[in-house]
Amino acid sequence: MERKQNDSALAIEVKGITKRFRVYHDKGSQLKERILFRKRSRFEEREVLRGISFTVRRGEAIGLIGHNGCGKSTTLKLLTRIMYPDEGQITMHGRVSSLIELGAGFHPDMSGRENIYTNASIFGLTKKEIDARLDDIIRFSELEGFIDDPVRTYSSGMYMRLAFSVAINVDADILLIDEILAVGDANFQAKCFNKLREIKARGTTIVIVSHSLGQIEQICDRSIWIHDGLIRAEGPPKQIDLEYLDFMGRQMQENAARQLAEAPPPPPREEPPAEAAPAEAPAEDAPAEDTPAEAPAPESAPVPEAPKKRWGSGKARFTSITLHAEDGRAQRVFRTGERITVRLAYKVTAPVEDAVFGIGIFTRDGVQCYGTNTRIDKLPEFRLTESGVTELTLEDVPLLPGEYLLDFAIESGEGLPVDYFREACTMEMISSTGDVGIARIGHSWTL
Amino acid sequence: MPHMIAQIKELYAYRQMIVSLVRKDLRGRYKGSVLGFLWTFINPLFQLVVYTIVFSYILKSSIDKYYLYLFVALIPWIFFSASITGGSASIVAQKDLVKKIYFPRQVIPISYVTSCFVNMLLCFIVIFAVVLVAGVRLDPLALLCLPIVMVVEYLLALGMALLSSAVTVYFKDLEHILGIVSMAWMYLTPIMYDKSIVPERFLPLFNINPMTHIIECYRAVLYYGQVPQLSSLLSSFVLGVLFLLVGWIVFDRLQKHFAEEL
Repeated sequence: MERKQNDSALAIEVKGITKRFRVYHDKGSQLKERILFRKRSRFEEREVLRGISFTVRRGEAIGLIGHNGCGKSTTLKLLTRIMYPDEGQITMHGRVSSLIELGAGFHPDMSGRENIYTNASIFGLTKKEIDARLDDIIRFSELEGFIDDPVRTYSSGMYMRLAFSVAINVDADILLIDEILAVGDANFQAKCFNKLREIKARGTTIVIVSHSLGQIEQICDRSIWIHDGLIRAEGPPKQIDLEYLDFMGRQMQENAARQLAEAPPPPPREEPPAEAAPAEAPAEDAPAEDTPAEAPAPESAPVPEAPKKRWGSGKARFTSITLHAEDGRAQRVFRTGERITVRLAYKVTAPVEDAVFGIGIFTRDGVQCYGTNTRIDKLPEFRLTESGVTELTLEDVPLLPGEYLLDFAIESGEGLPVDYFREACTMEMISSTGDVGIARIGHSWTL
Repeated sequence: MPHMIAQIKELYAYRQMIVSLVRKDLRGRYKGSVLGFLWTFINPLFQLVVYTIVFSYILKSSIDKYYLYLFVALIPWIFFSASITGGSASIVAQKDLVKKIYFPRQVIPISYVTSCFVNMLLCFIVIFAVVLVAGVRLDPLALLCLPIVMVVEYLLALGMALLSSAVTVYFKDLEHILGIVSMAWMYLTPIMYDKSIVPERFLPLFNINPMTHIIECYRAVLYYGQVPQLSSLLSSFVLGVLFLLVGWIVFDRLQKHFAEEL
């Protein structure tokens, strides 16, 4: 591996790199084990990268995407030279800095200021270079008042702010980033993001590995999708990210279907059990409360350990809940502003009078973002007698990036639960805009 | 060769990291202990007292001013042995850094050996005090040789530390094995006795031991007040450079898989 300073338009050249890891079944690095179990120290070679080539132009920002274990983080580690490829060649033109490990070498007893020196020195800065950046680093970290206190007195947020400030101020020609923008509070994250844009505008080459496709779309000029150790596609992030999401959505459904197929049949019950829900609805076969909701549950009823996620009379039950994009394909990742169609399949075992369908959307922290039902929407109540499918179309869903939990319910009469299914499915929102909050409010500026 | 020059250039760029690590190590070494930095001096002084009692009063060595004879050899030896035994664990001890961030890996053993070296230099304050009290007449020209001897020993210690730290990553027992090796090595180096009492058939073993020459150089300057023998100085220098070269090459080979092995 070489590091060259030249005027070439390329910042990074990766040629046919492969990387294998040895997975030891029985690792013995002690003498005794080596001698006694010579034959046993067998290992398996797992090929993580199977020949990847790409180039990055100077000043270009690329995002590496792919599912866990696809090799994208390994690629980044090879670029930083923490590891070396087994075959192939990597050439980096210019000074490389990585935002992979923040706060490397921090010593809790030393002051923030001293730790800046230690940490920056690990990035290869000389004392003079650090002196020149010190003020910028401190200002960016917003820790002016605490900079001479020992780092052990810092909160974890302050710690990360200091660490990020050092790393971002190294002034590298090539910046490698691995899932870092989860640092600190929303304000600081926004600040980091702006700093990254500024750095990019100055002509720094950036390589990002992230699960947040939104972040990649905001910063990167190109996405490289790595799948099973090979490049599957590369191109403009908007296009590649969608292909990737599509693929992931399909695979997730296949996996869910496979799990359902492998799951043992539910134990027989008095009431015929609801059919196992395929696709998105988790296969957990939460038993419908047999006792009618009006009557309190008998004292002897076993108390469930986890908070119950599904209850109701069970006269009708959801059998499958899927989310669909505009093209009709089932998926669980959507763009902010997209139309989402929810398809609710249900099975009726006994007629339900005055039926009402409802939905609730929550954040992971339990904040309700939206909730409604057919009664609120002034739809006529109806008698549910036959199994069928109901569709609910959510127009221009304004939820901002993040994961959301969806509750669905069938009620009868004045709010008696028939099948109340909490956290029936999850969906993820992505966006290429950087606005923050829960939902996007349509707006315009007059300047 | 151009590869090695590039590496040295890069190490030079990372010099501040070496300084930081050395400072951190020296500061952290006796942190929390009551006597703190004084231990740097107390530890070798106690060793000196014990060996002097054993060799002067029990074994009745005939060497004049035995405490001084021993002391000027013991301090350099402690530096050397700490560099190999402690140095062998240095990469493993910094595995969080090695696994997560890039820097020239040589920085770690270099920092470790340098911090041991600084410790030795501090102990030399005590040595000079003892030398003055003992009334040795120091030769100015001989004193000029002292830094050379120190540098040669540093190169030797660094070579050993590079070698042992890299191998320890793959083979953890080495750290413990080296504890024994270093003890044997100490007794096979004329530190507590004079090379003149070594039986002739063992002499070749002593002559290929680079520490024999180094100890003799220290002793020439600080005990006898003489310029060291050129042959001693030269052979220790050659061996020192050789060790460093071997250590460097082995380290360079092995370091590529550090992150995976740790």
